[in-house]
Amino acid sequence: MFAITLRDLQFRSRQFLIAVLGAGLVFAMTLLLAGMAASFYAEINHTVRSVGVDAWVLPKGTTGPFTAVGSLPTSTVSAVSALPGVRAAGPLAITPEAAQDGTRYVRVTMIGAPVGGLGTLTPSRGRPVSADGQAVVDSRLHVGIGHPFTVSGQSFTVVGLVSGHTLNGGSPDVWITLHDAQQLLFGGRPLATAIVTKGVPTASPTGYEVLTSTAVRQDTLRPMQSAVQSVDNSRKFMWVVAAVIVAALVYVSALQRVRDFAVLKAMGASSRSLFGGVALQAVVVTLAAALLGGLIANLLKPLYPLPVAIPFSAFLLLPVSAVVVGIFASLVALRRAISVDPALAFGAA
Amino acid sequence: MTELVVSDLTVEYGSGGYVVRPLNHLSFVAHDGELVVLLGPSGCGKTTLLSCLAGLLTPTSGSITLDGLEVCGLSGRALADYRRSAVGVVFQAFNLLPSLTAQGNVVAPLRLAGVRRRPANARAVELLERVGLAERLDHRPRALSGGQQQRVAIARALVHDPRLVLADEPTAHLDHVQVEGVLRLIRELAEPGRLVLVATHDDRVTHLADRVVELVPQEDSVDREPELIRLEPGQVLFRQGDRGELVYVVEDGKVEIYRELADGGEEPLRIMGPGDYFGELGPTLRLPRSASARADGAVSVTSYTLRRFRREYPGLARDVLVDRAVPTGD
Repeated sequence: MFAITLRDLQFRSRQFLIAVLGAGLVFAMTLLLAGMAASFYAEINHTVRSVGVDAWVLPKGTTGPFTAVGSLPTSTVSAVSALPGVRAAGPLAITPEAAQDGTRYVRVTMIGAPVGGLGTLTPSRGRPVSADGQAVVDSRLHVGIGHPFTVSGQSFTVVGLVSGHTLNGGSPDVWITLHDAQQLLFGGRPLATAIVTKGVPTASPTGYEVLTSTAVRQDTLRPMQSAVQSVDNSRKFMWVVAAVIVAALVYVSALQRVRDFAVLKAMGASSRSLFGGVALQAVVVTLAAALLGGLIANLLKPLYPLPVAIPFSAFLLLPVSAVVVGIFASLVALRRAISVDPALAFGAA
Repeated sequence: MTELVVSDLTVEYGSGGYVVRPLNHLSFVAHDGELVVLLGPSGCGKTTLLSCLAGLLTPTSGSITLDGLEVCGLSGRALADYRRSAVGVVFQAFNLLPSLTAQGNVVAPLRLAGVRRRPANARAVELLERVGLAERLDHRPRALSGGQQQRVAIARALVHDPRLVLADEPTAHLDHVQVEGVLRLIRELAEPGRLVLVATHDDRVTHLADRVVELVPQEDSVDREPELIRLEPGQVLFRQGDRGELVYVVEDGKVEIYRELADGGEEPLRIMGPGDYFGELGPTLRLPRSASARADGAVSVTSYTLRRFRREYPGLARDVLVDRAVPTGD
């Protein structure tokens, strides 16, 4: 039955190729959607990790350093440094802004840190910020080293580049000096939006609260939660679409093969082996579609403005899910395959 | 020595709410090495009989015995073994699997039975050479002529060396040149250790047969005298599904014509009174009775052979589908 099944696939190859293409496109969409959902988590993890600290001290009532702009005096650093569990502390000023490059405006997240202090980022290309007017930027800002840009009228020159450092669905992170950030945000006053620490304080200073980096990640994800959930729901729906495509093919194929089933039964094939053949065809189609989907997803990834970080686990899970989809899709033909009366083989053409 | 005994075989089922009986108490015997032709028009039960012989249809009653093995009592693995090893079938429409080559089609029954690939292929090649298709092994059915497809179907039926070969209308889709080759091949199949049964309405095949089983009795060549029959109230003259040769004219009383339903009920059709005739369709078209006839009170009817009825009432051919009273002498 295995050989007969594969020969039938070969015989109806055009029909099956159409289903492979259709299901493959759908599988590509599931991978891309998985990548989009994963990228929301990935960019948050990456940005928070890049600050390189263990805890964040914020004014009470501020939900998080990347979701709200609170203010506290930079002099608070000394009080925080003295807290038990803290090995080092430093101020950061974080604010969303719009960067202008010629006539192009790009939403960015400005992270201001003291030169050489906590929160300073060493870029993969170029050098860290060492003076006012300098910036290390994510490559999604699409500017090169030495390129100028302005933020609220303040000019910056790119001295370093990183990649994968974004927030809010692909908005680039921009590192500048604390002083420049204070100019943008507080008119130059000695304020910060958070005090970051190495080591986790065991107590909070009065009027402030301490968030671990984990809590900061969770808080930063919160505004994106509904978007992530929507993308994830769409991804799951795509599996249903893929199953329907394959099921339609399998059902039509079973209708076309009713007489073949009758003849095979008359020759001694069992209903179980007939259904096994149908299921095998469905699984071959879905596995081929999974392979095609992986290739298409990788080709389409760069075309998306949103970051798409398809996790490797999604590629590993795809063929397994494809097999399950194939088996479920073949169930539509189950009744047709097992209920065929072998006496039908005696009928006229 | 292969012997097939069919005894009192009846197949009955419901169709459109009515009872249909394509086989009604059929009996015959076929002996080792014989080519037996099952002759009859379309709808007379040939395919139903072949389905029963192939173990694909369970009859309502009766028995089929092949070399002492009661086929009707088989089920499960025993039935599967019977289908795989004892019977080979050549279907009316060839029924080759379109996705397989000629060799693949012949190999298929062996592979389904678990025979390994190499011996299965060797056997298929041997048979295809025997039927003259050595150069068509890798051709798919659509690249073969009707006669070639039929020969592939014959090779497939022989691949597991069955004791009983059934062929359903083997000449149905062939031109006269192809028919000659196929008939010659079928004749050669009937050899010691094997029985061949051919179901056909093609009279040409009967010239090759060792025995002809007519599923529909021929019109009586001897003209019998009309016979007056008296029936008691409620007595059944003939039943739906019976084979009948006689046409009846009501002389006195009434005859009720009704259909037997699949749920056991009855559907009254009409009442025939003096001068009415009935029962003409079955003998005229050589079909089973399509309804039953029963005396509605004491009744007298005269039975005629079809030949005699046509002579007595020449308008029959024109009026056979129209209810019309027989003109009386008065």
